[in-house]
Amino acid sequence: MNPANPTDRFDISRWRKLPLQLMVIGAVLCIIGGLVDAKEFAYSWLLAFMFFLSLCLGSLFLVMIHHLFDAGWTVPIRRFSEHIAAMLFPWMALLFIPIAVMAKTIYPWMNPEHQHEHAVIAKQPLFSVPMFYIVSAFCFLIWWLLSNRLRHWSLEQDKTGAAGPTFRMRYYSGAGIVLFALTGTIAVVLWQKSLEYHWFSTMYGVYYFGGSVWFTLATAYLITVVLDRLGLISDALHEHQYYFLGSLMFAFTVFYAYIHFAQYFIIWNGNMPEETYWYVLRERGTWWYVGMVIIFGHFFIPFLGLLRIDVKHIFTWMIPLCVWAWLMHWIDLSFNIMPIPHPQGFPFLSLWLHFGCWAFMVGLLSAVFLRNYNSHPPYPIKDPRLVEAMGLYHPVPTQISGGELGEADDLRDAPPQFRQPAP
Amino acid sequence: MTTAPMPATVPQTPAELERPLLVANLRSFGWISNRVASLSEGPAPLWWWILFVPSFLALCLLGFCVSYQISTGVGVWGNRHPVMWAWDIVNFVWWIGIGHAGTLISAILFLLRQRWRTAVNRAAEAMTIFAVMCAGIYPALHVGRTWYDYWLFPIPNSNSLWPQFRSPLMWDVFAVSTYFTVSVLFWYMGLVPDLAVMRDRARTRARQFLYGIFALGWTGSNRHWSNYEKAYLILAGLSTPLVLSVHSIVSLDFSVSQLPGWHTTIFPPYFVAGAVFSGFGMVLSLLIPLRKIWKLEDIITMRHIDVMCKVTLATGSIVGYAYSMEFFIAWYSGNPNEGFHFLNRALGPYQWAWIPMVTCNVLVPQLFWIKWFRKNLVAVFIISILVNVGMWFERFVIIVIGLHRDFLTSSWAYYKPTPIDIGTYVGTFGLFFTCFLLFIRFLPMIAISEVKGVTPQSDPHHPLGGAKVAESVPDED
Repeated sequence: MNPANPTDRFDISRWRKLPLQLMVIGAVLCIIGGLVDAKEFAYSWLLAFMFFLSLCLGSLFLVMIHHLFDAGWTVPIRRFSEHIAAMLFPWMALLFIPIAVMAKTIYPWMNPEHQHEHAVIAKQPLFSVPMFYIVSAFCFLIWWLLSNRLRHWSLEQDKTGAAGPTFRMRYYSGAGIVLFALTGTIAVVLWQKSLEYHWFSTMYGVYYFGGSVWFTLATAYLITVVLDRLGLISDALHEHQYYFLGSLMFAFTVFYAYIHFAQYFIIWNGNMPEETYWYVLRERGTWWYVGMVIIFGHFFIPFLGLLRIDVKHIFTWMIPLCVWAWLMHWIDLSFNIMPIPHPQGFPFLSLWLHFGCWAFMVGLLSAVFLRNYNSHPPYPIKDPRLVEAMGLYHPVPTQISGGELGEADDLRDAPPQFRQPAP
Repeated sequence: MTTAPMPATVPQTPAELERPLLVANLRSFGWISNRVASLSEGPAPLWWWILFVPSFLALCLLGFCVSYQISTGVGVWGNRHPVMWAWDIVNFVWWIGIGHAGTLISAILFLLRQRWRTAVNRAAEAMTIFAVMCAGIYPALHVGRTWYDYWLFPIPNSNSLWPQFRSPLMWDVFAVSTYFTVSVLFWYMGLVPDLAVMRDRARTRARQFLYGIFALGWTGSNRHWSNYEKAYLILAGLSTPLVLSVHSIVSLDFSVSQLPGWHTTIFPPYFVAGAVFSGFGMVLSLLIPLRKIWKLEDIITMRHIDVMCKVTLATGSIVGYAYSMEFFIAWYSGNPNEGFHFLNRALGPYQWAWIPMVTCNVLVPQLFWIKWFRKNLVAVFIISILVNVGMWFERFVIIVIGLHRDFLTSSWAYYKPTPIDIGTYVGTFGLFFTCFLLFIRFLPMIAISEVKGVTPQSDPHHPLGGAKVAESVPDED
């Protein structure tokens, strides 16, 4: 074990009240914000909502690709991902209610004076008030169906370990990945891109997806560290989970940058006013500096920070990087949303309100997550691939063929029956 | 967090979820060496000659068409205003795309620790190299005065001309040439241990000498393997961004323009997915007959076919997503030119090209959701051919339909290829198959050492490990 990674159990009893405290502080700030400036509150709420939506959708994606790839190493992280995904309904749907109520404040296209513009007329019937609610409800319905069924069959698998639930989950994941692409794209178009309804980009859904999965992987890394230190999933865990999560995060650092750069580069090269204005707005005032923060903070820092093979195992390096990913993802989403109410620059003066919305949601979702997590086994205890996740299945010894030499020999938390005898 | 830690138990894997072995029937190391190396030894089988002769004749046709084109000019092609890019760029993009599966299998799947890649990577890498060679012919010819091709490189010339680096076609030159170089290096480096096997088995001095030269004195020592695996990892790391960048850059040939149907931000990842899709189509088309003819079913197992079908399904679905987004945003943007273009694709005079594109690339691969299709080799083979056909039509749709009706109605035209266009395209198949047939004739088409590494007996800790398997399962042939 790396000396930078302490192995002693950690005591979180003093943090028990934190979710409730965050909710209360957040609620107070939100009420004050709503009374002081309803429009500012609406946009702050939307930003916080899109932030946590990306986490829930990213977790749903991780669960589905686990089944589609028939992966082994992801078993210990699957259960908490299922719980996060399951918050899409009803909790994220409930958090959407303020957006639904304040939609006319948030989305300029809903304003009657814009209803006769070509850009709105061309998008009929999608850009009509009834369709906005119908499509939103449809998205939540699909997400509820997928997250609920996947968690249900995962818990069924805990009872028997039979193959049936595994096949069921594969079935839902197969159909789910198509529905995920469809609903994820339409949701981000309707809830985020439509803030600037004249603008269009075929890449936008992929762009939101790339950032979401990156941020979800960072969160998964943090949660894995905490659960491991609590001893809840240590028996099912091997060092390679940390390595693979870090490697995937590295891959998505590059993927996000690739997607964002491609979108920018093609629009810049085409130099057509109906497209470039989106970026022109974001090069004005302090938004230009925010753009620079995204280039360096969202790409270069994590890219260089994750480049070395060994750092993925060093918690003192990875934890700050994962926390950094939270900040960068929030800044990235604010770069998309906040230039609408604040074209002159980043809204530093309303950061307290952003914190309020964020604190309320993180408090609520944490409380729900902890309740759900405590009610069920901490990892899929009878998953047929658990043996691979634990590092006890090692059919291949050479690096060239993708195996790891002596995987089982240095197993830190191997169950007693598999532990190497002391020399 | 009040839940108590779970007791550590390892669940029994249900029989239907057991992972099948990557080399079937517990074949021994000796069997694998004999089986693969013997394909390149002894006289060529009759079927090889039956395939080689027409391939070589097609290669001669390529020589004729290229000579005629160079000596006459690009007017011998069907390219006419406004369709100034046609079969030349269609075929360039198509061949480049086909090459992508090789690098994906050898580099990206290596980094992703997908062990099944070992059975198919060598042939796929070779396919990459030959496909890139075919692709490279077209831009070199398309410039018109082929003898000035060297002006594309930043080297001093008589007119002090310097490449126009703002042109995506220049980016192509560097992307494709770098890609080709790294692909050849990767392929050759992977071959070195197997060339040593061929050298050690050679029965004639000429074969010993030639395989020996290219085996670079490989002895299989620990130091050799250690250096080899490090180099392999580094080349895989270098190839991964390269393979993604090449087709992204090819996509920029179109997307940096302002043309409806071309200028779309999703093009780079969409082109990469399409390239991998068509590449896997070609890998399946080549390997399904070869595994049958050469009795390689224990090495290229049904599990390999199954996995490749799933990759084809996944990439085909990504391509389908991109098609949908193009249509959706053309409508969403409210831009009449974009709207017209996409309607023209589906309903215009080239509808005959659009329908097979959608059918073969989006609808047909969805059959792979059904296990029966993935298990039926005839079905897989037919679908893999359709994938290649569909991807050719995709490039045709993007390029020709994108150009034939431009902003000025009076200049609209209908493009038709000439016999020289068709002959050149057929000729590139000749080049591809001639090279591929020579490859499978003289070099091990399966990575012998890598396949051995994924057998259970290669693991000293495995219950079946060591020589026990080799002794217990006699080799039949």
